[in-house]
Amino acid sequence: MNILEVDSLQTYYGKSHILHGISFHVGEGEIVTLLGRNGAGKTTTLRSLMGLTRAREGSVRLFGADTTAWPPYRIAAAGVGYVPEGRRIFANLTVEENLKVPLERPGPWTPDRVYELFPRLRERRFNKGRQLSGGEQEMLAIARSLMLNPRFLLLDEPSQGLAPMIVQEVFNVIVGMRAQGISVLLVEQNVRAAVAIADRACVLDDGRMVFEGAAAEFAADEARVRALAGASAERWEAA
Amino acid sequence: MTQLFLFNVFNGLIIGAFYALMALGLSLILNLSGVINFAHGGFLAVGGYLAYTLMPFIGFWGALAVAPLLTALIGLLVEFVLIRRLYGRDPLYSLLLTFGLAFILEDGTRYIWGAATVPFDIPDWMTTALSDQFFFLTGYRLFMVLLVFAAVAALFLLLNKTRLGLRIRAGSGDLETVSALGVNVRVLRNLNFGLGIYMAGLAGVLAAGMLGLQPTIGSALIMPSFIAIIVGGLGSLPGTLLGGLLIGVASGVVTVFFPSASEAVIYVMMGVVLLVRPRGLLGEEGRVQ
Repeated sequence: MNILEVDSLQTYYGKSHILHGISFHVGEGEIVTLLGRNGAGKTTTLRSLMGLTRAREGSVRLFGADTTAWPPYRIAAAGVGYVPEGRRIFANLTVEENLKVPLERPGPWTPDRVYELFPRLRERRFNKGRQLSGGEQEMLAIARSLMLNPRFLLLDEPSQGLAPMIVQEVFNVIVGMRAQGISVLLVEQNVRAAVAIADRACVLDDGRMVFEGAAAEFAADEARVRALAGASAERWEAA
Repeated sequence: MTQLFLFNVFNGLIIGAFYALMALGLSLILNLSGVINFAHGGFLAVGGYLAYTLMPFIGFWGALAVAPLLTALIGLLVEFVLIRRLYGRDPLYSLLLTFGLAFILEDGTRYIWGAATVPFDIPDWMTTALSDQFFFLTGYRLFMVLLVFAAVAALFLLLNKTRLGLRIRAGSGDLETVSALGVNVRVLRNLNFGLGIYMAGLAGVLAAGMLGLQPTIGSALIMPSFIAIIVGGLGSLPGTLLGGLLIGVASGVVTVFFPSASEAVIYVMMGVVLLVRPRGLLGEEGRVQ
C-alpha cells in the first residue's frame, strides 16, 4: 500500500510557477529520497505535502485520504512528522519544552525514548534552543517530530551544515526509523549519502520529475550522480 | 515628605501594576497573532461594568471571579467572528478593526450604563486605612497589588508549565512550525486572545473599585500600556511586566517633585529607551514580527 500518492501537483509562490505537475509515491516502510539542485522545487514539494504552501492543481493522498486542501495541523495529526529546512527549533524554549509543543498522538515515542535515541539532547534538556549546535538542533528537530508518533516522516535537508560524522549519525537514525515501520521522504543535497540509505530515488529538475526509480540504479549511474551532486559530493568524498 | 514620597511611589506601583496587567494581555495577542489590539481598553471597561451589574446578585467576590471570565468569553467571540479574518494581512487592517471596535465598546458601555461615573462598592473593611501613618494604604489597594502580582505569576506559570502556554510561546516565534507539528493554530490563537482579554477584564474590575466606573476608563490606560511594551521590549513578557511597573513608579515619583510632568515622564522614558536601547530593556535583538 502506498502511504503517499502525489498526482500532477502544481504549486505557485504568488505568480512564480514552482512545481509543474509532479507525480510520485512513497510505499509503506520505504525510504524515498527526493533529489535535485538548488531551486528545483524540493522544499516546495514538502511544503505542499504538509499543507504549508497549498497546491493549486493536482492532488495529494496520504494514508488513502485526499489531503490536498487540509490545513497543516490536520495533516500532522493524521501522522505526518515534518522536519523543516533549517530545523526551525523554537529558540526561546528549552530542549524539553520544544518536545512538549507537538500534538500528542498515542504511540511508542516519549521524551525518555527520544533521549535514549539522542543522549546528547538529554544532557542539554534545560538549554534553550538557541544555545544548541547545528547537529544538536537537527537531532532536536527529528526528536520533536517523533513526539507526534508519526507513521510518515518528511525530512528537509537534515545534513545541511553538519559535520560528516554527525551526518552519518543522523542518517543512521533515519535508517532506524524505517526499521520501526516509519516511512520516510528525505529531501537531500547530499546525494551520495541519501542514495546509500534510500530504497528509491526521485529527481526533480526545474519543478519537473526527471527520474523515479530504485536508489541503487541511480547510485550506479556515476555520471548522473556526479552531475547532480556537485560540490556536496566532493565534501562527502573528502570525509 | 517621606510620607508624601511613599504615597506617590505606592500610587505609582498600583498604576504600574494596571499598566502591566493591560500590557501583558496586549503583548500576548501581539506576539502570537500580530494584532495590535486597540480595543483592549474597551474590554477593560466591559469587565468593570459587568462586575458592577453582577455585584447586587453575586457580591463583590463573585463579580471579581465571574466578570473577567465573561469578558474573556466576549473576547473569544470577537476573535472568532471578526479578528481571525484579518490574520496574515497587512497589520493595518487589524489595527483599523480594533480601533473601530474600541469606539463601539466605549459607546456601547455609555449607551447601556450611562456616561456618568457609577459608584462601585467594595467590601467596607477594605476601604479603611491599615494604619494612621500610611493613610493611603487601604486594604483594597494592598489587595489589588497582591492580586495583580498573583495574576501575573499565574500567567507566567501557565506559559512555562502547560502545553498551551508552551505552544503560545513557541507560536509567538514560529507559528507555521507549531501548526506543522499538529497544533490547531486557529484554536490556539482564539484561546490566546481570550487569555489576553481575561487580563483586561480583571484589570477592569480592579480599576473600577479604585477609580469608579466611567466609559472612558479604558482609553486612559491604553496608551501607557503600549509604552510599557515598548520600554520593556517587544516580544518579551517579563520585559512588559517590568516596563509597566517602571513607568508607573516613575510617574508616581515625578508627581512628588514636578506634578505637571507626571504624565510626560512616561513618554520621556520611552524616548530615552528607544535612543539608548531600541529593542527595549529586555527585548531580543533583531526580532521581527
